[in-house]
Amino acid sequence: MPTKWISRKDLKKLPDQWLKQYDVYAPIQNGHELAFQLVKESAQIVWDVPSNPRYPAKSLFLPQSEVLMSYDGILHSVEKVERPKVLFGLHPCDARAIRLLDHALVDEQNPDEYWKSKRQSTIIVSTACISPDESCFCTAVGGSPFNTADSDALIVEVEDEFCVYVLTEKGGVLFSKLPDAEDAQREKVEKLTKKVEAGMPKAFPKKKLHDNLLASFETDFWKEVSQSCLGCGVCTFLCPSCFCFDIADETVRKERVRNWDSCMFRTYSLEASGHNPRPTKMERTRQRVMHKFVYWVDLVGEIGCTGCGRCVKYCPVNIDIRAIAQDALHREFEGMKK
Amino acid sequence: MPNTRDQKIQAEAKRLLQDGVVDVVIGFQKGTLPYKMQPCFISRADEVAKLTLNGLCSNNLAVYLNHWPKGEKTAIIVRGCESRAIQTLVLENRHARENLYLIGVPCIGILDLQKIGQQELQPVLAVQEEGDQVRVTFGNGEKLFKRNEALHDACLHCNHPQPLNADVVIDEAGLFEDGSFDKSYLHAFRNLSAKKRNEVFRAEAERCIRCYACREACPMCYCEECFVNHSRPQWIDSTIAPSGQQGWHIIRAFHQTGRCVSCGACERACPMNIKMTYLTDLLNQDMAAEYGFEAGLDAAAAPPFLTLGEDKGKFTGEQEEDHAN
Repeated sequence: MPTKWISRKDLKKLPDQWLKQYDVYAPIQNGHELAFQLVKESAQIVWDVPSNPRYPAKSLFLPQSEVLMSYDGILHSVEKVERPKVLFGLHPCDARAIRLLDHALVDEQNPDEYWKSKRQSTIIVSTACISPDESCFCTAVGGSPFNTADSDALIVEVEDEFCVYVLTEKGGVLFSKLPDAEDAQREKVEKLTKKVEAGMPKAFPKKKLHDNLLASFETDFWKEVSQSCLGCGVCTFLCPSCFCFDIADETVRKERVRNWDSCMFRTYSLEASGHNPRPTKMERTRQRVMHKFVYWVDLVGEIGCTGCGRCVKYCPVNIDIRAIAQDALHREFEGMKK
Repeated sequence: MPNTRDQKIQAEAKRLLQDGVVDVVIGFQKGTLPYKMQPCFISRADEVAKLTLNGLCSNNLAVYLNHWPKGEKTAIIVRGCESRAIQTLVLENRHARENLYLIGVPCIGILDLQKIGQQELQPVLAVQEEGDQVRVTFGNGEKLFKRNEALHDACLHCNHPQPLNADVVIDEAGLFEDGSFDKSYLHAFRNLSAKKRNEVFRAEAERCIRCYACREACPMCYCEECFVNHSRPQWIDSTIAPSGQQGWHIIRAFHQTGRCVSCGACERACPMNIKMTYLTDLLNQDMAAEYGFEAGLDAAAAPPFLTLGEDKGKFTGEQEEDHAN
């Protein structure tokens, strides 16, 4: 796939051209915050995004509340035809999360049509993360601020110009008219990549972390880790790779709705009998961490956390999943292989 | 750098643990990000050096008493709002006062991360509190705030920053005197037309993502089953739609009437920066006007809604004029 080159001035005009054919979603300023929202013109887009917009891009594919069907005596399925979209300006950690969610939601035989239709109609153009912030740790969990694996194209800012890695045919459509990058330009990008990656945390030893956490399952480690947890849904709702949902019938509106749910909520695992297999925040905190670092690894061979740092940054009591992982790595749990 | 406030707190915690007065001390320790502190639970005298209290300690520690073993002898570091929350919890029979040891600290206020710029556009690298100034280092340079400009609104509006009914009070000056409450923001809100007030409320509620961080951060939200989780009957919509978002915020506020201690922990926990305390502050103002009651101030005064009978206080409903246009 080709590597292209574009000036800042020209890049800033590109989304206006896309807008003729696509709905474009990109980080724009919404009050004090940044948010991935539908763009009306290029000028709205915030180009220098040092840290991730708090509300994750998964919401464009798995909306927090999605009407699955409506009923008024008879059922109406909801129209699933999607307009073609460009999702622009997310970092590689968020792009990776969307690809991870494909594992969960697109089973070959039984795909989630609501997810699949949005996913197929969207071209993902990521921007490399040039200045990762204090809460970032993509490199610890198998990613990179320059990761090209999960996007249709990746844009890297170098000395006020931009290198465009076209990664799929889908992505190529948006950049077909640009000139190819020259060797000297490519070298600049490679240098920058190495420099930024060198300042990032080292990769967790995946297998050891997996095994240590499994060994910790029945220990007091989780009591300690969860003691300050409030039990809110901030970490999971802002997480780009959490996907749990609950289906509710809104009888007044006559709609069947799918809402995000959170394993951190008391009611999440509460059964109709009144029994709750995860009765305290200890079991619930354990579940969140085990799902990311153990169950995802067992199921698809990679860690289910992309290191975007949102849970670290926005947890009201600063529970830090990086610290939990480090702690688990450095402890001896009974039954652990030495 | 050690400061005397922290050292005095640590010394008291150490004494309590060593002498077996308590089993555990609930306080704050340094967090993993430059602008975060973490609640912590110290049960060994050799761990007290972790304890700190500064403007970045954003939670109300009384919240932990709601899921706390009732018999455990517990010390808790309290500022004004935390002491009033505990007083209210004790009055509501949530905890026995004799099992608690309150280490009071005159409050220096809590910094508002939004005001000092913990935003996506300006990541914060360091926060240094220097007397009545706060020095914040961003990726692109430093900025010096006057402390009052960087404080959370709840602290700027606080009427009782001094810890009440504490077992010991750390000998350090707080930032404010009691009674310095600036009510003007409530007057301004009350004087808006009903339409305008509704606009403010809608604009705040529409950012809600229903994560319930506000509920979980609140010492007064301890219901075994919250109305919002009740499904038969379902009280309010579960969805991200105005009906559910507004329903949550307005009913939550009403459940706090005469109970909220105006600590603002709900707002500081909110990942979407939603303003909520203006609702509870308004209701508290009504409670003060109608019943002369303020939550947590008096260890003997039972909350009016726990005692209201035909012969006791009567709500006139005439206190507020509606400025609807």
